[in-house]
Parts: sequence; structure tokens; C-alpha cells
Amino acid sequence: MKIGLEVHVALPTKSKLFCACSTTSEEPNSSICPICLGFPGSKPMLNKAALEYSLDVASALKCVSKNRTSFVRKVYFYPDLPKSYQITQLHDAIGVDGHLDLEKKRVRIRRIQLEEDPAKIIREDNYTLVDFNRSGLPLLEIVTEPDIASEDELREFLNELRSILYYLGVDIEKELKVDLNISVSDARVEVKNVTGIRNLVDAARYEIKRQEELVSKKQKIVAETRSYNEKSLKTDASREKESDEEYGFIYEPDLTFYKIEEKEREEPIIASRIAEAISKKYGCSKKTLLELVQFDSKALELLQHSQGKWPIQSIINVIEVLKRYESIKLSNEKFTELLEISKSGHQITDQIIKNVTSGSHVKVTVSDVSSEEIDEEIGKMIAANPKIMLEHEKNPKALNFIVGAVAKKLNASPRLVSERLGLVLKKGFKN
Amino acid sequence: MGGAKDSKKQKIEKVNYPKLLRELSKLNDELRFFTVINENVSEGVPFSVKDNLCVKGFESRAGSKILKGYLPPFSATSVERMMNKGFGFLGKTAMDEFGFGSFGVNTDVVAKNPFDDKCVAGGSSSGAAVAASVMKNHVAIAESTGGSISNPASFCGVVGFTPTYGLVSRYGLIDYANSLDKIGIMARSSSMVRETFEIIKGRDGYDSTCVDKKVSALKKKKIVVIDQLMNGVSEEIKSTFQVLLARLENQGYAINHVSFDFIDKAIPAYYIISMSEASTNLAKYDGYKYGMQYGDFTKKYNEFFTNARESFGTEAKRRIVLGTFVRGASVKDKYYTKALKVRTALTNKLAGLMKDSFILSPTMPITAPKIEEARKLSPLQTYAMDALTIPPNLSGFPHVSFPYAYIKGMPVGAQLVTSHFNDYALLDFVSEWEKSFEYQFKHNL
Repeated sequence: MKIGLEVHVALPTKSKLFCACSTTSEEPNSSICPICLGFPGSKPMLNKAALEYSLDVASALKCVSKNRTSFVRKVYFYPDLPKSYQITQLHDAIGVDGHLDLEKKRVRIRRIQLEEDPAKIIREDNYTLVDFNRSGLPLLEIVTEPDIASEDELREFLNELRSILYYLGVDIEKELKVDLNISVSDARVEVKNVTGIRNLVDAARYEIKRQEELVSKKQKIVAETRSYNEKSLKTDASREKESDEEYGFIYEPDLTFYKIEEKEREEPIIASRIAEAISKKYGCSKKTLLELVQFDSKALELLQHSQGKWPIQSIINVIEVLKRYESIKLSNEKFTELLEISKSGHQITDQIIKNVTSGSHVKVTVSDVSSEEIDEEIGKMIAANPKIMLEHEKNPKALNFIVGAVAKKLNASPRLVSERLGLVLKKGFKN
Repeated sequence: MGGAKDSKKQKIEKVNYPKLLRELSKLNDELRFFTVINENVSEGVPFSVKDNLCVKGFESRAGSKILKGYLPPFSATSVERMMNKGFGFLGKTAMDEFGFGSFGVNTDVVAKNPFDDKCVAGGSSSGAAVAASVMKNHVAIAESTGGSISNPASFCGVVGFTPTYGLVSRYGLIDYANSLDKIGIMARSSSMVRETFEIIKGRDGYDSTCVDKKVSALKKKKIVVIDQLMNGVSEEIKSTFQVLLARLENQGYAINHVSFDFIDKAIPAYYIISMSEASTNLAKYDGYKYGMQYGDFTKKYNEFFTNARESFGTEAKRRIVLGTFVRGASVKDKYYTKALKVRTALTNKLAGLMKDSFILSPTMPITAPKIEEARKLSPLQTYAMDALTIPPNLSGFPHVSFPYAYIKGMPVGAQLVTSHFNDYALLDFVSEWEKSFEYQFKHNL
């Protein structure tokens, strides 16, 4: 069984691929101009930032790039295509013959090309609307060889690719749009326009099963284009009118050949490789590490900065907590403080994170305070702040003040103070 | 140069616009060379714009029905530059639909020759040539893909200049074949052409193919005449051309006759490339975005755009069909790709020939034919009329057509070609020529 992919990635440029229109407008048809509407007389101008991003991706995927790149027109008639042709690439694509290494397999990259997105079609019951905000957005198409052989590999490839894109600063918030090419026997079936990893895996699973069943029944698999139905979880044959014959590719004569300067591009950050190295070095789970850092550059930075200086499990725990509370964006110093707190046996809570990040926390060293001392101090605090006691049932956070104040005074662990306070309150406090 | 001084004088000269507009409107009823006249123009030297160049707020339809009513929201760079220099925009001039034609008859507004209104004005910049011919103080902004400036300039007896490809921004030009389209100038004198060229050339942030190269004026003392180009030329033009060569020899030019078989490949290569590009350019006209609106949105899209596209003229349909065919995957290498190779080979060979020489030929093999005769020509006969103008156009070489004789009262033009970016040498040559030859005109608005 072979699976090949055509992955479409939106590039995070500020303006569209061939005009100055913004890429982020929300209101339909608010970010349009004569160029992205294909008005007679308008001409495309290449956005160099899109070219740079593309070359970064090509380099990270170990593609070979020629010293020049050029564009072609792909002609087809559809209301989402204002010029009735799409500007894309054919002969001098951004890069060819690259690869992406999975844990146990190399997936070859056939080609990477830059192209413009068509407009968005919005279908209603008895009419269709077109939003041209999307017309001309920069898309990168990454085409693999049919090297993926299982559902797991498919999932791994997509995550791996997304991680690399993420670390190159390419927006992966928008879901990847993918065409799947699946062949169980000789015939190649294309499942077009599947979005989202879950849908992709589901579509692949269904299509593999469908083809395997045909094979086992000794029926013929038709080489065709199919579409995936997210509701029924099935693929259906779709009528595809255009073929390469009809696209009639010619050079885009309004754009010139663009020189690709040879320059050293930075080594890409491959999170899975870093996770693997660290897991081997400290004997922890690669999977756990990867989950933390695959799409989180800050987590990766903290991990790399602190590894070897602290027990790996503490690092993992603190990063996990930080991610849980969406507080990962903190300095290495603050992170170290949290590691110290954690090492002293305190659980890292939301409050501690807040205290540490705002700088108002007590530096906790080893707490050598007895429960009685703490209870006594709690008693004093409560006596001094009767209002808090009235409020705390409605607003449990009101107690944080007492915890903080006691912990500070006794240089005790806030967690311990908090526990004691709970007990004190349970026992009932007589005013 | 004497010419430059004259043109400065022309600029200071106050134009009597009410009178000009009155006379122009009257003459236009006869010769049909303007599609739109700007009644509000009141100052500056008048200039006209071929209908395939966008002028903000003025109907720009490239001679086509399918763009009827299209009011561009922006002006072509060349038009804007002329307006910024204080020239007065007089109107849009007639042309073959999208530039598809050699006689100006492939459209609903058929311009007539100012020397004989039964004859064609040439094409595709028919109206521009007439405008340049009938007004004494006028520059016409025109466009050439395969000879659309040289051809009507020859038929209407004016100077028609096509600059090196890429020197003038194409932004705002309604495309025919983008890798071949060049904006150029027609006028009664080389000095007016030069002044206009200075204004409209130069880099533009809206056209990637537009360059800022330095333009040279390298004078060549040799003139090459390619034998094969003379094959289809009428006897009467051949004999006037011999007189021209003799005159130039007297002026110190060395005339070399060379044989160059390969030049016959220029016509097929040109038509394959231009039709390929044209068929993609015309794909956008589906009847709902600009120009003619087709109201019936209840139809399915395929049916809708198919109906809308019936509004193209016959020649446009022919080029869409042929252009779509030659770039189809199964025959592309045989036609489109091969044509690109022919273009490169031809360009290199011609560049070699022009290292120390100009290339000179008659501009057209005939004088302006009668409109009825032109309509009767088959497409292939019509395409053959471009044999002399296609080679420099296919290769993007600058060229100029200038009047050098009159046969039975009809003007005859010669076409001078030089290497890329040596455009000034052509204008210098014509300027010299104008010192010893007086152009004739029938109308003097």
C-alpha cells in the first residue's frame, strides 16, 4: 500500500502573493484590488517574502533548488478563479527531490511549489457567493512520493511536517488542505481536498479498506478522483472535468524568472530529533518530550536551557504545568525559580506561577516550620482579617491572601500553608 | 536635433480645443477612428490612447463587445505619465478586437484611411494611426504585438515607433500576448515620438517585466536587407524600396543583401506563442466580473460563461480555439515549446546580424487595401501580411516605421530595426531622414 500527499500550506505573509492586499481581512470581499480580481490591464507582482518562506521550507525539507524559479498559468473555468487561470509552478518549482525523515522511514519530497489560492465559494441552498479575500493568498504545495505505508506513518508524517513548518514560522493555525493519493494495488485513487489531520487519517483508513475489499473480491479498482465526506466518513467518486491536457500550462509571461541566490539557510529546528536526543541522554520518554515541544518553541527553549542542570522529570513536570496554565511564556530565570520551588517538594500551582512571574513571590527554600506554628499564624491572620472570612465562601480566592501572608512570614511552602488553612477551616474557627 | 526644438514650441502653443473637438467630431463621423472622445479636455498637447489601454473612468474595451461598458478603476502607467506631464487626453482610438487583426476591420468601429476612405487604416492600431495622421499636433499612444504599430503607420503615412520590449510599462494594457505586447508611439514626426518616449518609458512598480535599462543611440553605418523578407512584397513597393536603398547608399550607408531562410519560421512561431497567451488572457471574460453583464444568474456557471463568450468576434474565437489547442499537454512540445525555441534561435541570429547593422525592409508588402478586399482575405492570407513586422516583434527588438514614398497617393513606410535598447539610434535615423523628405498629409486638424 502506498500513500502520497499533496499538502497545501498557507504562508504567513502580510500581503497576498501578487498584490498588496492584506491577508487577514475578515469581512468578505474587503481585501481585494484590480490585481487579485484579475481586472483587465492589471499585472501580478511577486511578493518576495512568500518566495523566502518557500525557500526556507524547501531547504528544511532538503530539496534541491535551481538557481531560478518561474511561474505558469493553469487554465480552468470556475467562479472562484477570477482570471480563469491560476498562477502556479511547473518547470522551475521552488524545490525538488527532498525528503523528510520519520522515525523508521524516509518520505521523499517530489516537489515544492508556490501558487495563488483561488477565491472562497460559499454555497447556499439556491445561490452561491464568492469571497475574493482568499483570491491570491500565497499557498505552498508540498508533493511527496508515495512512500507512506500506514495510517501511523501518515499521522507521524503530518505532525512532523507541521512541526517543521511551525519552527520555520509558517502559520499552521489554518488547517492543512491535503490531496491524498492512495493505491493498494496498481490503480491510483486521489482523494481531494481533505482538511485536518483527523479527517485525513479517517479518509485514508476508509479508502484503504475500500480498496482492500475490492482486491479481496478480485474486483477492479478504478483510477479516479474521489472526495471525502466528513459526515458519512466515506469517500465518493467525484466528477473531475479538467485534465493536464485541458489545463494547457504556459509560462506566466507577466512574471519574469526569479533568481534564487545561493545562501546558507539556517539549519531547521527539528523538534522530534531534539526530543529523541534528550530522551536518549536522560532516559525519559521521547513521546512525552515531543508532546511538550512539537508545536511549542518556548517549551523547547526552556527544555534545552535547563536540561542537565535539573532532574529531567522536574523539567518535564514544570513545563507540563506551565502549558496547562497557558503560562509557558516566561524567562529562563523565572523557569529556574519554578524548578527550585518544585525541587523543594512544592507543587507548582497556578498561583505560584502567577507569583513567580509577577515577582511578588516568596523565595521558598527549605521550609522548616511545624504545622502548629503555621496553624497559629493562620489563626492570627484570620483574627486580623475578619472580612476575608466572610467573603471566602463566595470567593475562595480571598484565602490566597492569607496563604501568601503566612507563607511569607514563616518562609513556608504556600502549598503546606494552604493545606493547613483547609484543615483549620474544616475544624471550624471560632471568632 | 532640430526636431526637439519644434516640439517644445508645440507645447507652448495654446490648443484651441473647442475648434479641435468640433472638427474632430465631424471627421470622426467619416473616418471612425475614435471610439470615445473626451469632450472635457481643455489644455495641453492632445494625445490619444489605443482602446486596449485603460483610462480611468473612460470606457476601455479593446475593440471588443465583451468589455462593453467597462470603466477601469485605474489608468495605464503610460497614460498616467502623459497626464502628469500636462498632455490633454483626447480620447480612445479604434482597434481590431484585442489587437487581433492587420486591417482594423475585426471590430465594430472600423477606422478608414485618411488618404482614401475606401481603404483600411491598417491594424491593429488603426485609430491611433489615423489620429496621428490627421492632427498636426498630436501623439497617439498605441501598442504592438506583432506589428500593430508599424503596419497602420505605414498605411496612414506616420512615424510609428515600437520600443524594445520591457522599456515601457504594460500596466493597464488589456493583454493580447503579454510576452510580445509593447506600448509605443505614433506621430507625424520623430521628435514628437522622442518626447513622448522620454515620458512613458522607465521602471514601474506594477509591471515586473518593465526594466530601467539605459537606452543607447549607437549609429550603424551598415544596413542589412534580408532577401526572404522581400519575397512577398508587391512589385511597386519593391521598386520604391530600391530607390530608398539607393538614396541611403548616397548618404553613406553600406547596403548588404543577406539570405536568411530561418526567418520564415517567424510567422508560425509568432502565431503559436501569441495565440497560446491570448487564449489564456481571454479566459477571464466570463460575463460576470467586468464589462458586459449577463443578467441570468440562474444558469449553471458553465452554461453562463459559454453564453457570455459568444460575444467574442470570429477572429477572437479562432485564436482562443487555436491557442487552447497548441498548449494542450499532448501537443504542447510540438507547438508551444518548439515555438519558444524558435523565438530564442531567431532572436540570437537577428542579434548577430545587427551587431554592426540596422535591418531595413518595407513595412508592409502592399499599400493599404480596400476595406472590402481586406474583409475577403482568408486568415492565412491576412497572417502572411505580417511577414515583415513579425520578426522584430517576436524578438522584442525596437523598430520604427517611417514614410518614404507615395504610390498613387497612398503612403508607403519602411521599417528600421536595431538591437535591444538601441532605440535612440532609430529615432536619430528618422530624424535625419526627415531633413531630406517631407511627409504628406490629407487632413490638418
